[in-house]
Amino acid sequence: MVAHLLIATLGVVAGIVFGAIPGMTATMAVAVFLPMTYAYDMDTALFLLLGLYVGGISGGLVPAILINIPGTPSSITTTFDGYPMSKRGEGERALKIGILASFIGGLISLLCLWLFTPLLSAAALKFSAVEKFLIILFALTVIAALSKGQMLRGIFAGFGGVLISLCGMFSVNNSYRMVPAFMKAKMQDGFQLLPVLIGLFAIAQIFEEAEEGMRFKIEKVDTSEGGKVTKFSLKDFKGQGVNLVRSSLIGTFMGVLPGVGGSAASILAYAQAKNFSKHPELLGTGSSEGLVASESSNNGLTGGALIPLLSLGIPGDSTTAVLISAFMLQGIQVGPLFITQNPHTWNIILIALLACNIIMFIVMFYPIKWISKIIYIPRQRLYPIIIMICVVGAYATKNGRMFDAWTLLAFGVIGYIFGKIKIPASCFLIGFILGKDLENYFIQAVSAASGSLAVFFTRPIGLFIWVLIIVSVAYAVWDDRKSKKKAA
Amino acid sequence: MPYGMTRHAAPGAGLLLCRFRIQERGNDMIKVVYSTQHWIMPRIVMVVLAALLAAIIVTEGLARVKAGDSFLAKPGKFFRGDCDHVKLWGTLVLFAGYLWCLNVIGFTVTSIVFVFLFNVLYAGTEKKSLILSVALSVVSALIISVLFGVVFNITLPSGICTLPFPQLGFTLY
Repeated sequence: MVAHLLIATLGVVAGIVFGAIPGMTATMAVAVFLPMTYAYDMDTALFLLLGLYVGGISGGLVPAILINIPGTPSSITTTFDGYPMSKRGEGERALKIGILASFIGGLISLLCLWLFTPLLSAAALKFSAVEKFLIILFALTVIAALSKGQMLRGIFAGFGGVLISLCGMFSVNNSYRMVPAFMKAKMQDGFQLLPVLIGLFAIAQIFEEAEEGMRFKIEKVDTSEGGKVTKFSLKDFKGQGVNLVRSSLIGTFMGVLPGVGGSAASILAYAQAKNFSKHPELLGTGSSEGLVASESSNNGLTGGALIPLLSLGIPGDSTTAVLISAFMLQGIQVGPLFITQNPHTWNIILIALLACNIIMFIVMFYPIKWISKIIYIPRQRLYPIIIMICVVGAYATKNGRMFDAWTLLAFGVIGYIFGKIKIPASCFLIGFILGKDLENYFIQAVSAASGSLAVFFTRPIGLFIWVLIIVSVAYAVWDDRKSKKKAA
Repeated sequence: MPYGMTRHAAPGAGLLLCRFRIQERGNDMIKVVYSTQHWIMPRIVMVVLAALLAAIIVTEGLARVKAGDSFLAKPGKFFRGDCDHVKLWGTLVLFAGYLWCLNVIGFTVTSIVFVFLFNVLYAGTEKKSLILSVALSVVSALIISVLFGVVFNITLPSGICTLPFPQLGFTLY
């Protein structure tokens, strides 16, 4: 257990570093550290991965408060009140309020994860191949919401990911498809997940930053405007109970919805905090109320996003898409049967998530003065090391093949081009992860129904999922139009 | 055109579903043939992708027409105006060179050289910076090599500079 806690601490600290450096994300943290999990058993790997996840989401508040740059998209509303507090010389107080709110948000979402995942899994146990196919189709339509203002491109990317996942040998009749003859030996299983995801999320970003010239110099901010400076005390949370629970639940609920993402959760929680506040005019000027709403909601997301991941096998955002890959690499098949077939792993996930939240609090709350210096680490010195670790991870995917390392580079370039032509890489990755299951369930369902497609419209649960699909597409269309109008 | 599926029994212990023989019936939309079923989903996805591509071209074209522009987009600049071509193409060339050398030279030495080159590319050639680049490349490559190759026992690329230490029971790749 001590070893598990040490690994979790390593994960949390590494996650905080990635979350705190602007431009680097929790997704990148999990992707880069995946190769390390090869050497670990499943339990240890879970402590590391969940530590990276919790640390990555939490670290984003440091640059948001100190230099007005959200370290992760979900800390955007943290800048609204955190930075003004920092400018008043109350940076440490703001950081501590944010860390405590993050901690409580994480715990509330963990409670929801513990309560609701078994319920959703039990319902999903009744699913046949038809419903499983429709659930994946549903996931592919909701990923459109990931690509605000680019709905069609998002769906296009999702199906593009499905197509690429089908390259290789079809296990039922051992026939190849979409593979040149000279590549057959190397592409029997198609492209491996790890090099594809590290390429899309880590290497592509390095290309983008290289194009920008790696010109990032963070100026040290003068955070002393003079006047009376208030220190952190638990009184900062007086009267914040409802705000804290409401924002955490908003974060958890938004996390459950695939594709909605952390920034939407924190914006909604912040808006609600403003609506219900006795002093709404103070929000945005350095109020602890806004900070509590933002940080508790974005950490509430962590448990929420794991609910559909563990009960249905559907990743809700890019970080959980990377997490599902990590589970797959460890041989864990997430989905309706996950809890009943893996009660030990399920308990470990809950314990690890609790431990990681506590470690995050201890690691960030007390030494926050030193932790906050992370934001000044020059990325141009980190990227060469990240490239080296990514190559090791890709190479080791199938016990040492250079083909996988070249796949890493190829998908790095593809991810860079995606960014240029506005194709969301996260949608592509989710399609890539779900593609093979989509095919298997479709073939099973159609074969069992003697080729009739009517099978998808006859079962009541299936019809309910169709309603969800229609609602999600309608919402995506509405949201897409709203985003385009806003952009105009 | 319906996707073909003729009646074949799956050879050996194939999945049960492969053994279904789908009769051609009027209301059948899809016929699952054992020998060609690996193309059913790819073809469906290709059709969906083509439809989505057409929808993207039409909706974005109409939006441009509505804004008083032409239907087809003028090809924009692919690279940003202040693109640092040296760093961008340098990254690509160094990355490819790194991968090519790994299996020839071995992981540790190749990594020291290329992490140093990446550092020089990104951080410049000032004397102080060069010293830091050398230190970082040597230390990081050795740590990663020992951590993954020795402690975690993960296979790393080996080449002419790989050093086996049989008496100590490990290899420095």
